[in-house]
Parts: sequence; structure tokens; C-alpha cells
Amino acid sequence: MPASHTVAVLLDDALLTLNRAVGVLRRRNVPIERLALRPTATAGVSQLTFILKADAATADRVAQQFHKIVGVREVVLAATEESTREVQS
Amino acid sequence: MTETLTGAQILCRTLLEAGVDVIFGYPGGAIMPFYHALGDHPALRHILVRHEQAAAHAADGYARASGRVGVCVATSGPGATNLVTGLATAHMDSSPVVAITGQVPRSMIGRDAFQETDIVGITLPITKQNYLVQDVAELAGVVREALAVAQEGRPGPVLIDVPKDVQNQKTEYRSSQPSLDPRAGARGQSLGSESLTPGASPGSSPGSSPGSSPGSSPGSEEEPIREAARLIAAAERPLLMVGHGVIIGNAYTEVRALAEKTGIPVITTLLGISAFPDGHPLFLGMPGMHGEVRVNRAIQHADLIVGIGLRFDDRVTGNTAGFAPRARIVHIDLDRAEIGKNVPVTLGIVGDARDVTRRLAAVVQPRTCERWLAEIHDFTRPRAAAFRGDLAPETILASLYQATEGRCTIVTDVGQHQMWVAKLYPYREPNSHITSGGLGTMGFAVPAAMGVHLARPGETVWAISGDGGFQMNMAEIATMVQERLPVKMAIFNNGYLGMVRQWQQFFHGKRYSCTPIWSPDYVKLAEAYGIPGWRVKRAAELPDVVAQANDHSGPALVEFVIEQEANVYPMIPPGGSLSEPIETAPAGAGD
Repeated sequence: MPASHTVAVLLDDALLTLNRAVGVLRRRNVPIERLALRPTATAGVSQLTFILKADAATADRVAQQFHKIVGVREVVLAATEESTREVQS
Repeated sequence: MTETLTGAQILCRTLLEAGVDVIFGYPGGAIMPFYHALGDHPALRHILVRHEQAAAHAADGYARASGRVGVCVATSGPGATNLVTGLATAHMDSSPVVAITGQVPRSMIGRDAFQETDIVGITLPITKQNYLVQDVAELAGVVREALAVAQEGRPGPVLIDVPKDVQNQKTEYRSSQPSLDPRAGARGQSLGSESLTPGASPGSSPGSSPGSSPGSSPGSEEEPIREAARLIAAAERPLLMVGHGVIIGNAYTEVRALAEKTGIPVITTLLGISAFPDGHPLFLGMPGMHGEVRVNRAIQHADLIVGIGLRFDDRVTGNTAGFAPRARIVHIDLDRAEIGKNVPVTLGIVGDARDVTRRLAAVVQPRTCERWLAEIHDFTRPRAAAFRGDLAPETILASLYQATEGRCTIVTDVGQHQMWVAKLYPYREPNSHITSGGLGTMGFAVPAAMGVHLARPGETVWAISGDGGFQMNMAEIATMVQERLPVKMAIFNNGYLGMVRQWQQFFHGKRYSCTPIWSPDYVKLAEAYGIPGWRVKRAAELPDVVAQANDHSGPALVEFVIEQEANVYPMIPPGGSLSEPIETAPAGAGD
């Protein structure tokens, strides 16, 4: 059974940054199961969270693509079995 | 000193202050304020292309040849969308291009106004970054940041969309020295190196942050380098595979030093060609779909591949399941998202090609690979005869080498001629081969060569195309004439879309569906543009014609009428293994 991974991306609250981040999921044909956007405690920063069914290496490859986006501050990858950590920035 | 300027003036000034001296573009309604201001900035030379796609390719060619940002300009709507192929080409090949587009006034955005298109949305996946400038106060900062983002780390295209009313808006302007935005530097890839183990990359592990270096104990930065050196010392059949990153990073000397200290044979990918001198005893050639048999066999027999600045893309690897089955892979790349993306690696080192290679060459133990080189030499196969008749690519390219004495930049298009040039032309000067590798953009050569000329004004530039690709952008001959760009154009004319025809011959039962292609009389075409043109049908005519075209002071065109059904051999079928090259036409699809 392929493992499930959660990726949390902390990014600037800007439409273009969000658009670009979500675009990576589509562009790289990432099989996501859930997708959510929420504000964080830090003004001007949002958290985009998605869950994908993939092994650790695949999930890591996906996560790496987000580091390249201007406006992305942090990318956190965790196996979904663990409780998804609340990311504080 | 502060002064009040319009957005259009700010565009001109920020470009000039950043050292931009030439831009490629095409005016139109939404970019008219910029063109109005351009008249007051004669130091910013504008090249009027005949189609915006050519502006993007020319900016790309300029960037690749100079290592500096190439700039193109277009109006909104169709002007902007015509840039798309050029931006995607630059994106795939990591070329620093900045595109400036006019946009309808802010009050009209979203109303489907005349010539309105969402070019920022359209180009999101094919740019490193893009901007819609909503206020003139942001404009100078955006342009400076765009120029920095395009060039920093792994280069790539950036687009700036400027509404017409923002171009007319006024604001206080303070000129700046051409320095990178400090924020951009902090965001860029570190020039230091870090190691990666697949599946546990730093920065995406829980608790890590992008700023922290993995295993941050002192001296740990050298550990991956030392590990690579140990792998090299232990290998019996090592290979160096070098790609575009070596050219972008200006790492020729370092790669050569590493190769010569260790005796490791060197393979250059399509975009790595000219990163290592052809004719060097350690030079093997190009790998992959059309790589020579001995190169691909070397990969399949290698026990270690040290890849520097390449992506291990599918045209290089063939079926990755069968790629280099005996080899451990050390992958050095500036973009850590590339490490482990296409092939599993034993050791990944994220860093600048020049810096990492220099450090690796310093610590590696001197050695030789004589037995391995002899083994590879035994893999050599006589080159398959692709040609009937005497006007073979070898002969044409030999005459070109003779006429230029090897001192020219060759820009190729996409298809059979591209592979012939890649395999047969003996590149000796660094960065003297420019082509569209990743996107495989037919029509690239002619406009890109204009940009190359402007980046290297005193040098000779040959644009080599097939009859298909040439017809895609041949309108740019007018640009060359009007702007006095002495590009030499060569057309390999076989009356077919040759590479597709070859695939049809091999894999589609020789059904040449829609690949025969008619051409105009190219000599008369040249005449219509007022430039010299020649048609060569026999090898005996080559030396004289090629020399005349090469020595002509302006643009010139030579058509080579070649064998119609010539093929590029060997060939790895798409999705096939490097171990199974096609060396003659399959049964039933004979030449």
C-alpha cells in the first residue's frame, strides 16, 4: 500500500504565489487527496496543506518543487500516519 | 537624486541601469507608452522582430551567448501570447530571459477588453516568477527583482505585465547602481553545497527550515565532496556526464581539471556540448537517443557516473529502469529538486557546478582509467551510412569548420540536422553550440542566432535549420536586413520533416503521413530580401560557397539539398533501453 504523506507549505498571502503553488500540483500531475488553505498566526502568511498517496521519495520530489517558488517560506513533509503538525512560523 | 518619471520611463531607466543595452520587441496598443519613452533612451537598442516568438528566442539566444539577461518586449493579447513558446523554451533550458508585456489599463482588466489576455496566468508554469504591476511605485523594484531572479541560482524566464495606465502613471524615481536586490540573494540557492540522501532531503524534513544547512557541524560541508572523491577512487569504470550547468556556471576549467586528474572519460549532453573540447583524449561524445553506440555502452557498463549540471532527462536515459544498471550515480546540481527526480542517486550534492567541481578536483586522488578507456574504445562501431550521394552532413559540417576555422557559434534548430551537428561538428570553444534542448522548439535557430550575434558582435554566427524549422521563422530575415545582423543561415533541405519521417519509417510502417514538405526557392527568397543566397547540390561546390557565405559582411543563406530519406543513426527507440540501439532501418522499413 503506498504510504500517505502530508505536505504543508507556508507561503506569502499573495494570489500569484498561491496560484503558482497550486499550479505546481497540477503541472507535476501530483495525485493529491485533500487540499486546504488556511491563515496562520503570522500576518501575511498562509498555509497550503495537501495530502498525497505516494512513497517517501516521491513525496520528497514533490515537496522540493515548492522550495523554488518565490514567496514560499517553508515546506514541511510528514508521513500522514503521524498527526499532522501545526506549523507555527 | 530623485526625479519624477512615468512608468514607461522607469522601465527604460531600470533596464539601462542594470546594464541592458539591447531589447527585442514589437510594439502595439498596450505597450505604446513604453515605445514612446524608448525614443529618449538611444542607449537601449531595440531590435524590431517580425513576430514576438522571435523576440523571445532572440532574447534567449542573447542570454545563452552572453550569460546576461536577455530582454524581450511585446504588447498585450496576441503580442504576449506569441512570446509563450519562447518563454517555455527558455524555461526548459534554464535561460535568463525577462519579458515585458503591455496590459490593458487596470480599470479594464477582467472585462475581456480588446487585446486583453491573462498572460500572467498563462505563463505561470513556464516562468520562474512573474508580476502584474498594479502601481507605478512598485515598478522599479519589480524590474530590478525580475532581472535578479532571472539570473540567480538556476536561471530562467521572468515576465512583467505592465498595464498601460501604469506606464503613464508618474512617481518619484531614484536611480540605483546595478546591484542585485539583497532579498533576492537571500532567496537564491546557496553557492555552498549540501549533500542529499534520496527520500530524506533537507528542507522538506519535519522540523527543518530552508535556511538551515543539513548536519551543520563544522567541516560537514566538505563531507559529501570527500564521499564523492572516495567513490571515484573506488570505481573501476567511472564516467563524467556534464550538462548545461557546466556552461551556465562557467565550470569548463574545473571539469577539465577533474577529468585530467582522474583520467575519467567525459560525456556531454546535448546542452553540455562544447563544455569539454571535442578531440580531447578523454572526450567520448553525446549520450542518449542518438548517442554513439560506444557512449551509450560506456554508460551501461559504468560502475560510477558523476553527473554535473544535467537533468538525466528521458532523451539522455532512455528507459530509466534500464539506465546504467551497474552504476552508482553522484549528481551535482544547483537545483536540489533535480536530485533524484529522474534517476535514483547514491549521492546528491547541491551546489554551483564550478565551486563543487573545483573542490572535488582538489581532494580527489590522481588516477588513470587506461583499461576502461580501452574497453570503451572497443565499443566503437563504424558509423552507419546515413546517406546515399555525396552531400553528407559530415562533408557539409567539415566545410563549415574549414571556412570558420572552428571559430564561430553554431545555433541549431530541432530535428535530424540538430543531431547531425551535435554528433559531427568538432566543438572546441566553450559555449559555441546553442540549441533548444528541453522543449525541442522548431523555429528556434534563426531568431536565437540574431540574439547570439548581438551578444558576440565581432564573431561569426551560423544558424543551421532544416527546411521545416527554417520556414517557421524565416520572416526574421527581414529583421536581420533592417537591423544589420550578419547571421549566416544554413538549411538542410531534404523535402521532409525529416525526424518525424524517420520515426514514421521505423515505427509507423513507413507511412509518411503529412511529412513531405514543399519549400520555396530559397535562392530567390534570399534575393527578395536583398541578401546573397546559394543552393548546393554537390560536395565539390561546398568549399567555395561556404567560404563566400562565411566571409560576406551581411546576412547570407545557403541551402544544402541533401538525401531525402537520410536517417540519424544510431537511435534508441523512445522508451527503449540504451543497450538496444537501432543501427540500420528495421526490416520492412529499409532505406
